[in-house]
Amino acid sequence: MANVSFTNVRKSFGDFTALESLDLEIHDGEFVALLGPSGCGKSTTLRMLAGLEFPTSGDISIGGRVVNDLAPGKRDIAMVFQSYALYPHMTVGENIAYPLKKRGLKKPERDEAVRRAAELLQLEPLLNRKPKQLSGGQQQRVALGRALVREPRVFLLDEPLSNLDAKLRSYMRAELIELHRRLGKTMVYVTHDQLEAMTMADRIVVMHGGRVQQFDTPDAVYNRPANRFVAGFIGTPPMNQIEGTVQGATFVVNSHRQPIKREAFAASLVDGPAVMGVRPEFVGIHDSGDGLPATVRLAENTGHETIVTLELPDGARIMSRVEAGRKLSVGQPVILRFDPAGIHLFEATENGARLNLDIPVAATLSQSA
Amino acid sequence: MKSKMLRPLILNLVTWSLVLLISFPLLWMIVTSLKPQTELFRIPPTWVPETVTFEHYWRLLTETPFLTFFRNSVVLATSTTIFVVGLGTLGAYSLVRFRFRGRETLAMLVLFTYLLPSVVLIIPLYLMMVNLGISNTLFSLILAHTTFALPYALWLLRSFMEGIPDDLENAALVDGASRLGAFKDVIFPQLLPGIISTALFTFILSWNEYLYALVLVNSESVAPLTTGVMTMLISAFNIEWSLLMAASVMMSVPLIVVFAFLQSYLTSGFGAGGVKG
Amino acid sequence: MTTIATDPPRNGPSPLERSYSRLGMLLIAPTIVVFSAVIVYPLLAAIYLSVFSIYTPTLEGEFVGADNYIEMLTGGVFWSSLLTTLIWTVGTLSLQIVFGVGLALLLHQNIWFRSLARSLVLFPYFLSTVVAVLVWRWLFNDLYGALNHGLMQVGIIDMPLDWLGSMPNAMIGVILVGAWKYFPFVVIAVLARLQTIPENLYEAARIDGAGPIARFWDVTLPQLRSVLTVIILLRAIWDFKEFDLLYLLTGGGPVTSTQTLSLLVYQEAFSLNRMGQAAAYSVGMMLVMLVFMILYIRRTKEES
Repeated sequence: MANVSFTNVRKSFGDFTALESLDLEIHDGEFVALLGPSGCGKSTTLRMLAGLEFPTSGDISIGGRVVNDLAPGKRDIAMVFQSYALYPHMTVGENIAYPLKKRGLKKPERDEAVRRAAELLQLEPLLNRKPKQLSGGQQQRVALGRALVREPRVFLLDEPLSNLDAKLRSYMRAELIELHRRLGKTMVYVTHDQLEAMTMADRIVVMHGGRVQQFDTPDAVYNRPANRFVAGFIGTPPMNQIEGTVQGATFVVNSHRQPIKREAFAASLVDGPAVMGVRPEFVGIHDSGDGLPATVRLAENTGHETIVTLELPDGARIMSRVEAGRKLSVGQPVILRFDPAGIHLFEATENGARLNLDIPVAATLSQSA
Repeated sequence: MKSKMLRPLILNLVTWSLVLLISFPLLWMIVTSLKPQTELFRIPPTWVPETVTFEHYWRLLTETPFLTFFRNSVVLATSTTIFVVGLGTLGAYSLVRFRFRGRETLAMLVLFTYLLPSVVLIIPLYLMMVNLGISNTLFSLILAHTTFALPYALWLLRSFMEGIPDDLENAALVDGASRLGAFKDVIFPQLLPGIISTALFTFILSWNEYLYALVLVNSESVAPLTTGVMTMLISAFNIEWSLLMAASVMMSVPLIVVFAFLQSYLTSGFGAGGVKG
Repeated sequence: MTTIATDPPRNGPSPLERSYSRLGMLLIAPTIVVFSAVIVYPLLAAIYLSVFSIYTPTLEGEFVGADNYIEMLTGGVFWSSLLTTLIWTVGTLSLQIVFGVGLALLLHQNIWFRSLARSLVLFPYFLSTVVAVLVWRWLFNDLYGALNHGLMQVGIIDMPLDWLGSMPNAMIGVILVGAWKYFPFVVIAVLARLQTIPENLYEAARIDGAGPIARFWDVTLPQLRSVLTVIILLRAIWDFKEFDLLYLLTGGGPVTSTQTLSLLVYQEAFSLNRMGQAAAYSVGMMLVMLVFMILYIRRTKEES
């Protein structure tokens, strides 16, 4: 078993608190992405798991054993660094063999393991080269090879794809998914790129300001964001957040009354200020009829869809996603109508919680995964 | 069109005349060392020697204690370098890659002593060597040279160490190395060019040092080249310039070797020595 | 009150973290020992000695309190030496900067045998001061020196000059040799910085119609500003404390006209045999230097 858990872990650097009370339970064999903007504490979390940073308080355990006091090399983990951190003075073969050497494996065994890893990652012709002579993608594969050659219980990956160009990145994403499927090992993956997190991870830890904002499946994080931060962070463009007032069964914004089903929301939803969240794909643009009046400010046609930026009379901006080729001109007055299925309500505070009542599918899904 | 051709020519002429002007004293040193005594005191001087002779070099090696001085300098500079670079490498590793109380203060203290004038330390050091009964030995000079060489080496090595990515060491730790293992396997090979550069700087610094040798050592048998050659100048009844110029050339031999083969290490040491900006 | 049985909360650094910092301290320990023995202790001893009157040959002395410092502040020798030090520092430093920047700009251009030219220019900096002084004393020689003859042949002077034996020639002489010896430092530092100025800045300036001179003032110089500050601070500190060059070239003479503070300290301790007084002078000198040192240290701190 190689489940990973953080229990009440805190980390501060002097007066600065990087992480406040982190609790995470990562299952054996799970691919978990730590996602968030820079400075959110995701790298610190990973580095503490690796033993490169020390928690100020709290316990970190791997496979049920607290590892706080174990040196990184004794935790049975492997790590791929953003910079790859290949040893420049060693050949590719020596780089991959290094962790085995440190574990006292004899040369023939090392060579065999290196050969197998090289075969898996198509590195055979490069084994005698120095890292400097390799392309970015090849270096990346060597770093992976060095990580997997020792068959660790947990893989840690720190933004491993961020130094690759877009094409190679999408190729490597597929490779990593395949690798995870084949090895079945626990993987903890740090990234600031939501596309990577959404496409690769079983579950995503969305982090911000040293706190976990949501820990759930990609589907849940997208469709049921826990709070305004997650709603505004996930999705390109992210979820629209419209300030208004709840009055009975309506959400009033700019004298437009949007009907809502009060029974679909938590009891804590009371009349008064609130924030309505709507993903751009649930914002319909119409020429006339009932709805929220707005003006077209920008229409960006990407080929398979059009992203429209709209301005409300009070100056607030709303994004909409409509089919490609839809003719909209700048300055054109339109009427917006929101699909009731896509309406979320949040508390009006800065990072207000989401108030929708959902059937907790997420929990059951992740348990069975 | 004409100015396009002329500009590089003028640039080259100006630059090279300046370069030659700057190197003239050195050329003159070599020229003088090769002139026979009779030609030396001619007025006006001959710019190119009419006869080339190596007699001064021969006399220097056979009739003066030059070789003793040279040996002393080699021992002094080599020991100082090994001592200081050894200490400095470990110290710099600690200063850059470990967290402990007083680390920052220590780094600033190193920088402070790096700028400290030697004359402040020379009086107490002299007293210390006399009290320890080791004055007038090469060992006392090695200790004294540590006062400027150690802060210098530490500062340089610290800067080189900072240039090695943290993640290289982290990778080694995750791969199963201990801190010292990671140092040996990963950091040291990366630091090696920096160590060579620091060693060269320290060696040259120690090789060229004059004040400490002047104060701490007064017998010919332990004098390094700097004070030794200067005594040759002072003690001679009439100053034998050819001989002194030959000594100067010989004294610069290690430097010429470094310049010919290892100059890139010297230039990289500059960046590390605090001139960034 | 009920007590709930829980694991004791983790407080403070973990054993692993503590073992790391122990190792860190162990690695720096030898350095600290040597440092304390040969630098910190002598430094404190210098301050301690400065309140004694000590006769150098016997090393015997007595406590005199602030007498040495009163002598320093009222005696005049310290002040005139300080003035000499400042003249020397400002003189040689300005020449170093002007020639250093100028030559760096020339050597940055695409000239023939550039690396050879650079080596030749660099050489004086690494040369032993003893060698530099011997060569220059031979050049300065009033009867057979190449300098006088060269200048006479060109027609700048018609009588040989007494270079090191009279004023102001002696001061000009040491300033000149100091500039010759130390300007390569400026060259290397400026050259390194010049190589990092992005070419497109010059292209942009060219498009905006800037000529070579305007490009120097508007592009090169602002880019060099921070490195020049560092160079000036560092060189000012080093020139201020220079001993070897001045001592060997003029010995402080004629009389005391080139006697800088470093030479004053040495002479007081080892010629006049007044070690306590010398220690007081050295402490005074250090206090003057402290201004530059703090400026430099603060700058370095800011950068890191």
